[in-house]
Amino acid sequence: MIVVLWSIRRVLAALVTLAGVSVLIFASVRLMPGDYTDLVLGPLATEAQRALAVAASGLDLPIPEQYLRWIGGVLTGDLGYSFVSNVSVTEEFAARLPVTATIAALTVVVTLLVGIPLGFVSALRAEGSAGAVGRFVSALGISVPEFLLAGLLVFAVSTLGLGISVGQYSSFAEDPGRFFGSLVLPIVVLSVGCVAVVARNTRDAVLNVLVEPHVQASVARGETPMFIIRHHVLRNAAVPILTIVGALVAVLLGGTVIVEFVFNVPGMGSYLQTALGRRDYNIIQNAVLLAAAVFIVTALVVDLVSNAIDPRLRLTGGSRR
Amino acid sequence: MTITPTTTQRLVTARDRTFGAWRRVDGLARLATIVLGALVLLTVVAVLTGVFGSTSATIGGRFAPPSPLAPLGTDNLGRSFLPRLFEGIATTLVVSIVAVLCSAAISTLIGMIAGYYGGAVSELVMRIVDVLYAFPALVLAILVSALLGPGRPAAIVSIVAITIPLMTRVVRVATRTVAERDFVVSARISGVRTPVIFARRLLPNIAGTVVVQASYALSVAILVEGGLSFLGFGVQVPEASLGLLIQQGMLAMTFAPHLLIVPGAVLVVAILCINLIGDSLRDRLEPRETRSLT
Amino acid sequence: MSAVTIRDLALEFDGSPPVRALDGVDLEIAEGSSLALVGESGSGKSTVASVLGRLQPRSARILRGSVEVAGTDVLALDTPALRRFRRDELAFVAQDPIASLDPTMRIGRQLQLVLQSTGRDASPARRVEMLEAMRIADPERVIPLFPHQVSGGMAQRIAIALALCRRPRLLVADEPTAALDSQVREEVVRLMFDQARALGTTILWLSHDLPAVARWCDDVAVMYAGRVVERGRAADVLGAPVHPYSRALAATDPSRIGEGERLVSIPGAPPVLHGEATGCAFEPRCPLRTDACAHTRPHPVAPRATLCIRTDELRRRVRESEVSA
Repeated sequence: MIVVLWSIRRVLAALVTLAGVSVLIFASVRLMPGDYTDLVLGPLATEAQRALAVAASGLDLPIPEQYLRWIGGVLTGDLGYSFVSNVSVTEEFAARLPVTATIAALTVVVTLLVGIPLGFVSALRAEGSAGAVGRFVSALGISVPEFLLAGLLVFAVSTLGLGISVGQYSSFAEDPGRFFGSLVLPIVVLSVGCVAVVARNTRDAVLNVLVEPHVQASVARGETPMFIIRHHVLRNAAVPILTIVGALVAVLLGGTVIVEFVFNVPGMGSYLQTALGRRDYNIIQNAVLLAAAVFIVTALVVDLVSNAIDPRLRLTGGSRR
Repeated sequence: MTITPTTTQRLVTARDRTFGAWRRVDGLARLATIVLGALVLLTVVAVLTGVFGSTSATIGGRFAPPSPLAPLGTDNLGRSFLPRLFEGIATTLVVSIVAVLCSAAISTLIGMIAGYYGGAVSELVMRIVDVLYAFPALVLAILVSALLGPGRPAAIVSIVAITIPLMTRVVRVATRTVAERDFVVSARISGVRTPVIFARRLLPNIAGTVVVQASYALSVAILVEGGLSFLGFGVQVPEASLGLLIQQGMLAMTFAPHLLIVPGAVLVVAILCINLIGDSLRDRLEPRETRSLT
Repeated sequence: MSAVTIRDLALEFDGSPPVRALDGVDLEIAEGSSLALVGESGSGKSTVASVLGRLQPRSARILRGSVEVAGTDVLALDTPALRRFRRDELAFVAQDPIASLDPTMRIGRQLQLVLQSTGRDASPARRVEMLEAMRIADPERVIPLFPHQVSGGMAQRIAIALALCRRPRLLVADEPTAALDSQVREEVVRLMFDQARALGTTILWLSHDLPAVARWCDDVAVMYAGRVVERGRAADVLGAPVHPYSRALAATDPSRIGEGERLVSIPGAPPVLHGEATGCAFEPRCPLRTDACAHTRPHPVAPRATLCIRTDELRRRVRESEVSA
């Protein structure tokens, strides 16, 4: 019963946060300097043309009403039209979302498959020279920014050939091979940073568990390391590791903007970037809201799953500390 | 009866403590401190005295190779690259440090308030912070710069907005732990005024945690500034920052690769050193017993 | 036949400067008996106990000495043999019972795991039996619970069950009742001793609680600054202590004080050694100190292996006071 109540509370909190985010996005977008009619119609437009444009896109309505129209649209699936190009935002999202989603999903898979075992190994061999090398490499992994790595890779690929083409994107429907081929580099770049983050946090989580008295009690009973890891460490370290997956999503959401820019991939990230340059309110609002929503939902899922794994959280209503 | 140490016990002298501390810091962190210190020192000298050359004078052809006049060659406008590199480092560091200091101050204050009072106050603070946290970092930064106009202030504000949620959470948890301890409870009971409790009892005990988080925030700050300037939303020409230099380097990389590689390497080294120092600080201030499974 | 024999064990913790936690420990525990290891915090009790299973922290280095448990040279075992040894011969009961259980695993499952890994019957019936043997009423209710859902006393009984189900030769209890309520303490100690004696298990009990120790244990060893300063039968060491530290310790026992008398405490604090003590480590606080005490490293004097250069004189005094009393 407590579990259900707590879960409902968590979901409500997430909704409140999402609402807060939407207000913040809306406000900041409206506050941006630059008259959009200048951008869209050019500085030579007449008053009448401007008035027409403003009325057509509903910018003459009072602000709160604009906000409600927007939210209403979001809830019914109508994301409006781009102010600049008059293309349906919903259609564009539908075309671009799968691209970014593929990059993100594959990156997450690679990261978990590589990062978590790496973190475990690093924790179990934490001292001595192996430990120092491990610490150095993990610090290095989070020190190389994605944009730099992306830039260096582009440089390496274009000067050294290597058979991978940059910017030769084609959609999945047309040519699946080329589609995935063009995503390889972005995924590699994103994975480096993400693997480093996951490995570091896994290592921390495992080291914290190794010190806990019940693990030492198990050692004192003569159990083998494999046994202890399998039965005690994995479950106890699962919650902190899961939390990192949540943070991973946040990192990815930002990272895709950069890699899509550098590698010329038509996904949500590059869409947002161009929209920002053109002050295309509708796109900006919806894209950022979507990104925030993805993050909030991920965090919620992580919380609910953690709760299921660690029984102590149920009793204290959510906080282990 | 006075207790004198037996002849067998060495007094742990002050010298032991300082040199012991230095010796206890592991080799990697020591190396990182030296490298970072040297970098900062060089940059300060370069920027304050202009001994490496002017950052705005055109001294030769575009993208000229290294020469005695321009030790790292020239950039796309024929300016010597070396002084511009130092200016870039200086801008990046100044922006990041200023931002992290502001962020640390704000986070510590609201984190302590949330952790000490708990309940509704804590919920409110964390809700607001969560809203900020829900924005993907770079997207938030771009939004801020779109709002404020690109440049240094935008970079600083975005970094503050991005790092506050992380630090506030940690400060709140740390404050809660300290606030439950007897010496704080007794202070409250005996009527010590709250600001004094905050300053004298809470703050010194969470200072270590704050410093560790601030060091990680610094590396995040440099990354964010770099990314922002790289995308064109941060520091603008004719100023220089590491992110901007990297972006310009990318455009020129086919014929002057060093213009990309050198600022890139400096950026990585700086962030790496900060992370290693942060790791070491964390090990010292929040020491963790190590146990093995054998 | 001796269950535990420790000779001249010296151990240091790394650091600048290093900390000498054990400075030449000599200890013997007869098989099937019970010995209490008493001393202030920092005397080295827990460190000695951990070395019995080679479970000392990684930062600890053993400088010299030998440790023999049930005829096995513990310090010479290779890793697989060490694990077998820990599994079959040794059992530990820790101070915080709830923390020593896996918080994410139900109690029944933890019992099952331990039974299985020692190749014993792990059936549900057997698990209930184990809890019943620990005098836990309504064991079926406890089996599906998580550790944080039971009381400290209950958790300690479970810990004792986990420890003794393997029929170890030596049970080491590190202040097992320190975290428990006073009413529960007596029951837990009684349970521990009854069960262990029934199995013929030797008991090593680390404690601060002198009266409890006097009631239950056959022998007592007093530790100070990493050495055993006196050991012998409990009645002798606690009732008529010879070593000045043992006397001071016994005098601090509140239950011995008559009405209206002042509670005595030992002035000063135990030293932290950074190298081998060249004299007597208790000398700065000793009411019976002489100048020679600071420079002469004491050797054990029979019959209680007392570490004091004035032992013979002090024993005479004790005998005289006994005669005159």
